[in-house]
Amino acid sequence: MKKISINIFVSASLLFLSGCNDWLERKPQNIILEEQVWNDPKMITGLLANYYDRLPYHTDLSHGSNGDINAINREGWQDFAAYDEAMWSNNDDARNNLINYAFDRWRLWDYGLIRDINLALENIQTYAVKLTEAQKTQFSAELRFLRAYVYFEHVKRMGGVPLVTKQLIYNFDGNPGALQQPRNKEEEVYDFIASELDAVKDQLGNGTSNTRANKFTALAVKSRAMLYAASIAKYNGRMASPISTPGGEVGIPASRANDYYTKSLEASEEIISSGSYELYKTNPDKGVNFYEAVTKKSANREVIWAQDFLVSKDKRHGFTYDNIARNVREDNLSSSSITPTLNLVEDYEYLDGTSGELKNRNAGNTDYVYYDKLQDIFANKDARLYGTIIFPGTTFRGSEVQIQAGVKVWDNATNAFRTVESNVLGSVYDDGGLLTGSSGPQRSQTEVSNTGFYLRKYVDQTAMSSTRGIRSDMWWVRFRLGEIYLNAAEAAFELGQNANALKYANTLRERAGFPANSLKTLTLEKLQNERRVELAFEDHRVWDLKRWRIAHEVWNGNASNPDAVMYALYPYRVVRPGHATHGKYVFDKLVAPRFRTPRFFQMGNYYSAIQQSVIDNNPKIIRNPFH
Amino acid sequence: MKKRIITCIPALLLALIVGLAGCEKDNRTEPKSVLKGRVVFEGQPVGVRSNGVQLEIWQRGYQLFTKIPVHVNQDGTFAASLFDGNYKLVRLRGNGPWTDNTDSIDVELKGSKEIDVPVNPYFVVKNDVYSKGEGKVSATFNVQQVAAGRTLERVNLYIGTTTIVDPNNNVGNAQEVAANLTDLTKPVTLTVNIPAAHASRQYIYARVGVKTSGVGEMLFGMPQKIMLK
Repeated sequence: MKKISINIFVSASLLFLSGCNDWLERKPQNIILEEQVWNDPKMITGLLANYYDRLPYHTDLSHGSNGDINAINREGWQDFAAYDEAMWSNNDDARNNLINYAFDRWRLWDYGLIRDINLALENIQTYAVKLTEAQKTQFSAELRFLRAYVYFEHVKRMGGVPLVTKQLIYNFDGNPGALQQPRNKEEEVYDFIASELDAVKDQLGNGTSNTRANKFTALAVKSRAMLYAASIAKYNGRMASPISTPGGEVGIPASRANDYYTKSLEASEEIISSGSYELYKTNPDKGVNFYEAVTKKSANREVIWAQDFLVSKDKRHGFTYDNIARNVREDNLSSSSITPTLNLVEDYEYLDGTSGELKNRNAGNTDYVYYDKLQDIFANKDARLYGTIIFPGTTFRGSEVQIQAGVKVWDNATNAFRTVESNVLGSVYDDGGLLTGSSGPQRSQTEVSNTGFYLRKYVDQTAMSSTRGIRSDMWWVRFRLGEIYLNAAEAAFELGQNANALKYANTLRERAGFPANSLKTLTLEKLQNERRVELAFEDHRVWDLKRWRIAHEVWNGNASNPDAVMYALYPYRVVRPGHATHGKYVFDKLVAPRFRTPRFFQMGNYYSAIQQSVIDNNPKIIRNPFH
Repeated sequence: MKKRIITCIPALLLALIVGLAGCEKDNRTEPKSVLKGRVVFEGQPVGVRSNGVQLEIWQRGYQLFTKIPVHVNQDGTFAASLFDGNYKLVRLRGNGPWTDNTDSIDVELKGSKEIDVPVNPYFVVKNDVYSKGEGKVSATFNVQQVAAGRTLERVNLYIGTTTIVDPNNNVGNAQEVAANLTDLTKPVTLTVNIPAAHASRQYIYARVGVKTSGVGEMLFGMPQKIMLK
């Protein structure tokens, strides 16, 4: 027994002595300490890259939709097909059968990211001893910019959210009351965004980078955020029963509208007059030019802030693989997911300023209008149509996208056309001519357009970028000068500065092929249409309709409402030997055959529902209206 | 091998015991009481869109306070399986085609119970009569304003192949906007053409609905089965 205790004593003292050995005093190989991170600009930049990557998104290029109810963001690129810009032509019909938009759609509650940014801001002050003051200021400014942007993403979805600007630390006393912040007012969040952006814009640096935030990125975010706040203040107040909560968590008083419009206009004009950016006008072909304005990565001074991708660094996405037109696809699967609708195509005006309805029937609606070539029906349209949408008779990557639904055969017995369609893509009719195009459209097949149109904007021209092996490194443009012009036009118009508003709107229209001063008068409807056609597929449509408070009217769930129902355009070749119309083309407008339920946006969709778990953890959080 | 199995026996026994006990100890019985009801106006159930309108049931006295959403069927009925207890039933604001009324209805549930939830619609459809023509279905009905404060937006006649008929589930519809309905004392007649694809059917369901402007949901009559042959 005694022997054992001696043994224990000896071995214990050995252990104690060996503690002073260098062998146990090594730096860990697998942990990075706070002091190391915050004293190394390279590591801080790496951390910033992570935060940029985690910024909230709604519809972009690289994030897929997520069915997980607990996911922070649940929408993704597929949801371009969930509104009125496009419908879904790939497998499954979920987005064509949306009975209504769920109240938790657009939900966001990403306080994990906000906490990480707050923590970073505090740790830079605590640990950074080797950085210069200038570096500290610059990094802090960039972090604060990101935080302001994240709050903007929250407020446009949820209304007022708690403004947390410091890390919250729990002291384990059993009473978490001190950590439970109530929701701030909606206007307070917008004011916070404005003041933060003002505070950091001159400290951001980053030169003319269009992927990291510089002064003009901050101004661009301010331009958009203030415009949103202004239009909510103005148009929410004009509703029959404004959407608001007693505490102002939702709803901005109408008296604030002018102030916000003024701030938005100032920010927009500072960007426009700075000369740092210019509208992209390099390509003489206006249609191709518009495509390049959004998608060209080099020598493009229009893009203010983009999320960039690079194949050689294995940062890439499958957007092109999923959305390329059917007969130019390079893979044996997928393609044609997001197919633009006739609704959007017809919103592109004619260059003479007339409304953009396609003339497929004669004036008396007694007969078709016969066109020599497929593309003739789209002649003299806004060039932005070509840059956004692949329509019948156009090419992609130099090859024709063959869009033809079938043939119309004249039947002398009935004195009418008989429609012949085939479910074989690229099939040949009895007369040796084309029956159904190799890119459809098809009424019920998947992976081929159901509307007769394909997406061009953001679909990559690079060879092999639509294969699963290589994929695409097309960038996602968050802000570009085109939007700033439209923001300026709208804010100027709302402030009664019509001459200014016309100048901005017409500048943008000139690039699209319109003559100078094409708009003589301005209405809000015209500006709404300009935004729709210029910014299609750039994640604006939903937010715009929400802030103008017209979403519930445009998408009212009524099957007789042409705005809520998605239409298609089916081209046919005329077979009528011996007649003047033989071999010409006619077009049918129809409800997209795979589209089943009209878009239905309810009052409860203006602000998304807050998760129950958030309310359970913090009883001070009140629900949004109608939930 | 045999020895290895023998040494494993205790563990296997333990697994067996745990497996058996798992069905006993930690599962509650499911709620067996049913709260049934109808949303009524003047004693008649109110027709709504299927899967659209929601009532809320709340129960106080527990740590987590969250609503039990109850969807109203298209014929105005609803049902929820609950545990016995005291509940408050709330007509969610801005949700149905009726005026907001935030008074909650106390429900004391012991066993099963049926209740009527009274609502005050803006517009109702009355005296709806359906008829069929050659390839057409017509409905004649009166629109009556009940609650003031909002205007009529439109009336619709929907036809569908199943008994679920509403703006989202139909094969055809006819519509009249409020601008053409100046005199609500006169009956409204709507006629919808049956699409060619459904012309040879034995029967079709028809249903009229009325939309109040500024209110998301419509109010409907009851679906009517119309024999075409």
